[in-house]
Amino acid sequence: MDCHESTALLQAYGDGELDPVRSAEIERHLIGCAECAARRDELSALRARIRSEVPYHRAPAAVRARALAALDATVSAPAPSQRPRDRWSWLTAGALAGSVATVLAWFIGTAVLDWEADHDLVTEAVTNHTRATLGNRLIDVASSDQHTVKPWLSARLDYSPPVRDFSADGLPLIGGRLDYLDGHPVATLIYKYREHTIDVFVRPVVAGKAVPAPKLVTVRGFNVAHGAAAGMECWAVSDVNPEVLASLVAHLNRAAAE
Amino acid sequence: MKRAHVDRTRFEQAVLPQLDAAYNLARWLTHSGNDAEDVVQDACERALRYFDAFHGGDAKAWFLTIVRHACYDWIKRNRPAEIAPGDGTEAIENATDPAGVTPEQAALRGAAGNALNEAIAALPPGYREVLILRELEDLSYKEIARVADIPIGTVMSRLARARSMLQRSPVLHAIREGNTGRG
Repeated sequence: MDCHESTALLQAYGDGELDPVRSAEIERHLIGCAECAARRDELSALRARIRSEVPYHRAPAAVRARALAALDATVSAPAPSQRPRDRWSWLTAGALAGSVATVLAWFIGTAVLDWEADHDLVTEAVTNHTRATLGNRLIDVASSDQHTVKPWLSARLDYSPPVRDFSADGLPLIGGRLDYLDGHPVATLIYKYREHTIDVFVRPVVAGKAVPAPKLVTVRGFNVAHGAAAGMECWAVSDVNPEVLASLVAHLNRAAAE
Repeated sequence: MKRAHVDRTRFEQAVLPQLDAAYNLARWLTHSGNDAEDVVQDACERALRYFDAFHGGDAKAWFLTIVRHACYDWIKRNRPAEIAPGDGTEAIENATDPAGVTPEQAALRGAAGNALNEAIAALPPGYREVLILRELEDLSYKEIARVADIPIGTVMSRLARARSMLQRSPVLHAIREGNTGRG
């Protein structure tokens, strides 16, 4: 590869848009060409500065509230005969958006037992998550090291939650905190996915209670994924897309089962 | 408003997770938090109207496309001068030297820590949007091409120009001087 070609491809290379063969070619060229290497360094310095200095403007709460209000104003409620479980949507369809905790979506695999209790629990988990991300107390113990976070949590609870870092899968553990769920202290693991924060509430499965069926729920725009394995159950709450949450829960289930 | 048959669940899952990205793009294109809120609201209403046309797939690119249209409609209504005719290249030289910033002013702004923000805010919108979508949203060239409704080749050339404008920008001399390893 010559300088002309290298210059043309340097941006795509830095953006991770080149196929492996072209990447290898440009890397070979960069080793031997100080001028192109300097250009690459300038570009990566610029990228690093943009990513560290330029603010990502996250939507204020009003944006979400207004989106939900627009949705409320538009949505024609589905016929009750088709969606018998949507009675909560019916009840709250007229309620002010964002002000009422509503279960809006149910992916139902099997029969839903005790689902109103779960609904409260999921809503509580979402409230915990929003309170933690809005306030300052997101993390009690900041560490990506499971051997720091796990003992910290175990020392404060009567159970030992599975704790695992999934950085390799793009889901780094950033810490843990003690939160409160369903009237009990609960282990909370905090993960990052790109700019998003994910809270995972982990507790032992309540004895004698059927493991709740809903796998994925949306509450006030937040997705909540539930999973259970080896006597532990968890709720992952975030504004990331459901696939990411589902994959995190699957990872945690595997970690719990080990 | 048209009473659409919107599946509430589907809409929430497609659109609500994109609100941060939507607001960020709108904020960078309109330069104002309040205006960005209005634009995202407008985009949500459009998305509701056209939700029938969304058949799944990349919800982020789909919604950001709508947000971008809402942004440009808003700019056209409120600040028509900002949208340069043609491909916007006329505005480049102005952008590299926004309002004739002197080195002293540049140094002051640099000291205030927001020189880079200002330099990006001064880019013509067609360049600013590809840069924001790439660096802050981490979209691929293909996704950016879809959102901005331009060919991938244009995404690449605009990104390259945007970056070179930033590197040449008087408020950002530190980038060049600090990192140019050649004589």
